[in-house]
Amino acid sequence: MRKTNCKQIRRELDELMLGEAWSAIATEHLRECAECREFHVQQTKLRKIVGSLGTVEAPADFDFRLRARLAKDASSAPAIYWRLMRSGLVVAATVIIVALGVVVVRDAMRQGENIGEVARKPEVHQPLKPDEAPPVGRQEKQSDDVVAGVTPATIRKVRPTQADYKKRPLSSFAISSTGASVLNGTKPAGMSTAFPIDSSVQPFTVSLEDGRGNAKTISVPTVSFGSQRIVQGGNQFAPKRDW
Amino acid sequence: MNTLTTIDELGFAPALQQDVLEDTTSDHALLEATRSGDQDAFAELVSRYRNQITSYIYRMTNDYDGAVDLAQETFVRVYRAADRYQRSYAFSTYIYRIATNLAISELRKRKRRKLVSLTGFFQPTDGGEAKELNPPDLRPLQDLELVDTERRNAVQRAIGTLPEKYRAPLILRDVDGRSYDEIAKILETSEGTVKSRISRARGFLREKMRAYL
Repeated sequence: MRKTNCKQIRRELDELMLGEAWSAIATEHLRECAECREFHVQQTKLRKIVGSLGTVEAPADFDFRLRARLAKDASSAPAIYWRLMRSGLVVAATVIIVALGVVVVRDAMRQGENIGEVARKPEVHQPLKPDEAPPVGRQEKQSDDVVAGVTPATIRKVRPTQADYKKRPLSSFAISSTGASVLNGTKPAGMSTAFPIDSSVQPFTVSLEDGRGNAKTISVPTVSFGSQRIVQGGNQFAPKRDW
Repeated sequence: MNTLTTIDELGFAPALQQDVLEDTTSDHALLEATRSGDQDAFAELVSRYRNQITSYIYRMTNDYDGAVDLAQETFVRVYRAADRYQRSYAFSTYIYRIATNLAISELRKRKRRKLVSLTGFFQPTDGGEAKELNPPDLRPLQDLELVDTERRNAVQRAIGTLPEKYRAPLILRDVDGRSYDEIAKILETSEGTVKSRISRARGFLREKMRAYL
């Protein structure tokens, strides 16, 4: 009880300004409690010492230095504007460069797309019938390049002119005239589904140009891996039982 | 029939003049004038507050030259922000707040600059309040004048070791004699917090200044 009272009284004394009158209860308590009296004496002394520090004066040239500082700030204002403007110019130049870069990259990407489209859309050659003779211009050096089982129609070897050399990319593909077979699950169950690849007429042929107008054709003979069957009835790796 | 020829005869002229005089020389009025380009008004404001602000910052930082620089920076900020000044607070509260912020920034910069602090070895590891190393001086005291000077130096050093959150309210209260309400506004905190911090600050000081009490 007394401890609480001491705490309250000390707080009250602490909050008062020096020389300010305290309450009757505090007076009564101080008369009885030696500890609080001691505390009060020490606290008053301390506050007097701290209060005796007083005010430190500013130097005599304080105003002069302040005016100089303000004047310097004012004169540097145009410099700030110039700096801002300069940074604005830098920003504008950066924006223009970035915009040009975007345009260049976009054009390059469009060119790439066009090349891709050309690659995806092969020239459609009507397959030749066995008894039909190939065109005259496409018969040159036939015996060297043609591997067994490759019909002359699937090989395209062209010696480019100087103009072609400038236009064409360094390599080109000669793609088989027959499109890839599409497999779907529309066939009735139980019917054997195999990849209908005719190994005798589907070689993979690539024609490369070395940049000097010389074309080289590489023809990869077909390799058979046998036939593959699509397993009916879903994924063969699916769990067999309920977990 | 009596007719009044001058306004002085009405009898309230002195009071009116007094009001006008007070209005034109108040801090707010001076700042208004500064805003409209009156350099003399700003000079008057500076002359009113330069010593108080320099002294306050000096007590906070314990570095006179630095305090002068920061006091000047305080006035520069007041000048630059004159257009944005609002009358919701007293001008003294406003300028002391700027000074406090600058002083605290300076103290933090100094703390960052200290790469290795010997006092770090004496800081509690249990998350308690950090205390600078400044053990109480228990040597016997001799001459009275020397004692007085030494005591003031000791208290200044002791204040310099207080954590900044205790230092500012203690200086504003015990050195500058400001009210709790004003201190709370300057430090942007509650009166209760201010009272509690001042009480703790005095507790720290009492421990450090035991030899002089």
